[in-house]
Amino acid sequence: MPEQAQRRAPIAPPGEPPSEATGDSARDYQELRQLILAPEQNSLAEIQERLDNPSHRAEDVGSVVAEAIHLRRRKGGDAALAEALAPTIQETLRESVRKDPHVLADALFPVMGPAIRKSITETLRSMLESFNEALEHSLSWRGIQWRIESLRTGRPFAEIVVMHSLLYRVEQVFLIHRETGLVLAHVVAPAVATQDPTLVAGMLSAIQQFVHDSFESPRDDSLGSLTVGELEVFVEQGPHAVLAAVIRGHAPASYRLALKETLENVEGDFSAALEGFQGDAGPFRAAAERLHPLLETQYREKQGAAQKPRLAIAAGIILVVLGLSWAGYAAIQARRWSNFSRDLSSHPGIVVTRVEKSGGRWHIHGFRDPLADDPATVLSQNHLAGRNPAFDLTPFYSLDDAIVLRRASSLLAPPRAVRLSLQDASLSAVGAAPSSWIIKFEVRAPLIPGVSTLDTSRLRNENAAALESIILTFPLGRADLDPGQEAPLHRAVENIHALINLGGAISQPVAISLVGHTDSTGVEGNNMLLSSQRAGRVAALLLRAGIPDSAIEPRGVGPTQPLRPEDNEEGRHLNRSVTFLVHFAPPSPVH
Amino acid sequence: MLQKKICMLGSFSVGKTSLVRRFIHGFFDEKYQTNIGVKVDNKTLELDGEKLLLLLWDIYGEDRFQKVQMSYLSGMSGYLLVVDPTRRQTLDDALDLQKRVRDTKGDVSSILLLNKCDLLEDWEIDPDRVSELERNGQPVLRTSAKTGEGVEEAFSRLAQAMLKSPA
Repeated sequence: MPEQAQRRAPIAPPGEPPSEATGDSARDYQELRQLILAPEQNSLAEIQERLDNPSHRAEDVGSVVAEAIHLRRRKGGDAALAEALAPTIQETLRESVRKDPHVLADALFPVMGPAIRKSITETLRSMLESFNEALEHSLSWRGIQWRIESLRTGRPFAEIVVMHSLLYRVEQVFLIHRETGLVLAHVVAPAVATQDPTLVAGMLSAIQQFVHDSFESPRDDSLGSLTVGELEVFVEQGPHAVLAAVIRGHAPASYRLALKETLENVEGDFSAALEGFQGDAGPFRAAAERLHPLLETQYREKQGAAQKPRLAIAAGIILVVLGLSWAGYAAIQARRWSNFSRDLSSHPGIVVTRVEKSGGRWHIHGFRDPLADDPATVLSQNHLAGRNPAFDLTPFYSLDDAIVLRRASSLLAPPRAVRLSLQDASLSAVGAAPSSWIIKFEVRAPLIPGVSTLDTSRLRNENAAALESIILTFPLGRADLDPGQEAPLHRAVENIHALINLGGAISQPVAISLVGHTDSTGVEGNNMLLSSQRAGRVAALLLRAGIPDSAIEPRGVGPTQPLRPEDNEEGRHLNRSVTFLVHFAPPSPVH
Repeated sequence: MLQKKICMLGSFSVGKTSLVRRFIHGFFDEKYQTNIGVKVDNKTLELDGEKLLLLLWDIYGEDRFQKVQMSYLSGMSGYLLVVDPTRRQTLDDALDLQKRVRDTKGDVSSILLLNKCDLLEDWEIDPDRVSELERNGQPVLRTSAKTGEGVEEAFSRLAQAMLKSPA
């Protein structure tokens, strides 16, 4: 409209008054102008006022802001609009939480519960699937093989199970900006270890470009997949973005289709953000949600399901048989050791208190007298020679008769002609022994633990016997010894000394009778005198040899106790003699 | 967090990889460079309180047998042009490479790095030539991968330049 006005009449520059020459026409012009432009000028002034007045402007924008946002969304400006509004909304939320956290918490309450439940359910489901797989394969033959593989490679058993029972699992999905190689979004399956996604995405882009340049392929052609061992990387390329899925195992062709569809959706819905990408991946957070469904996991179908019960039963039977065999073997062993324990305890001087197996070795606890039998001997008698148990046997003094007798024999060392026996704590010595041993026996035996009394009633003294066997002979009618009687006399002196010593040791003084004899010839009264003289003569010789007077008692019996029948000269000669009788005084009473 | 792709460019053996190694502790083995001509690393910087992730494409050095594949430079927001001043030829090669980059990728933020500044006495390049480049608007920095001098600054300045003129 102003242009039209300008075409109709030139307008004087502002502030410049019309000239005299044109006075009338100028007035006409002003009137005409007023008539034509007044409504428009008023309208313009009104618009100018609205523009200058902020409250009016806010009123105008406020009335159309909702329609404007709707219009923008219809035109596909989601990402840019979200980007523009994001800082304001974030700040608003932060401010709201700062002022009163309950407002937002109350608003989100109905959403948070189901979201948390869904997340937990998903995690548990995934865990249970893995657990089921591990459990199902634990007892099978294949499971045993996998367990061996786990031991061999040092990888956890669960990982081996998953590796073998998986058909495929998509472990990671990358959304990468095609031109820069920068990662826009990245999702990872649970329990998958990953490297820095920005680096992996960068190198993946580099490899793609390397392959593309190296083989001079057309621009739209790109590396479709990479395979490394059991890992496969599916790559789908769009005009602005690349979608790469890292897959363990072999995904079906339909998965590539899913990848393609997702990329197309992302390219469509985020086209503005992708085209204007300047390094800010913020607008692509929503794209990550689109990638999550691509994290598929597919297990192998269960093969030979009908065989499983048979295998399980066979494995069960084997386990039961093995278990029973082991239990039987253990019972036999326990019984054998129990018998051994009983046998060992039956040996005098050994007490078994406990038999136990510890650290794979049998232990025998108890007590043992040092004089008891060697347990190793008992072990071999029980057919356990090679088993080498640990004997924990504390030494002690046993009062078993057999052990007391062994101890007595060991301490007293009886002569070969003496036999010791023990009954009811009474130690008996039977046989002939020299006085020196008898002294030892009498002194030491009562000190032996387990010996209460001594029985020497059947113990003969060798010195007494030797002395009583000596016969000192005399000539007819005389009281002097026959020639050659020095040796028997010397033996008599030795034995008497031994007997005196014994008597002193046992407090039973010895009394030795010197009995003088005559033959039956001659006058009876003379024979009695002669026999006394003969005994007196021997007593005198003994006194001279150091035998105390108190120990000897000379007496004559004449021909009344002949030693031999007198039917020949030899008999009569032996009856002309002196013999010895040994007596011990009874023990003196103890006060 | 904002991400930017940057490239390390320059002749063979001018110290590009050593500079990167000074700047970050990489994840990938350097054999990748030999195999496919590039190795990717990343590093997070903080500029004016904002975090910035740099994706570093360390590209195999040019020599007479192998030229830089321009496709590797796609989408880069900036690059460091590394020169070994103890070899005069590396500056000529770098400027030649820069021209090719400009021809194919347009004007992208860059910094010319005169590396090996710990060996100043062995430098062969003409200081006047460097001054002239600076006068013509080419940012130049002296660095040493050996001592670490100027390394952090080089990456930070490039990052700042990229943020000012987003490519």
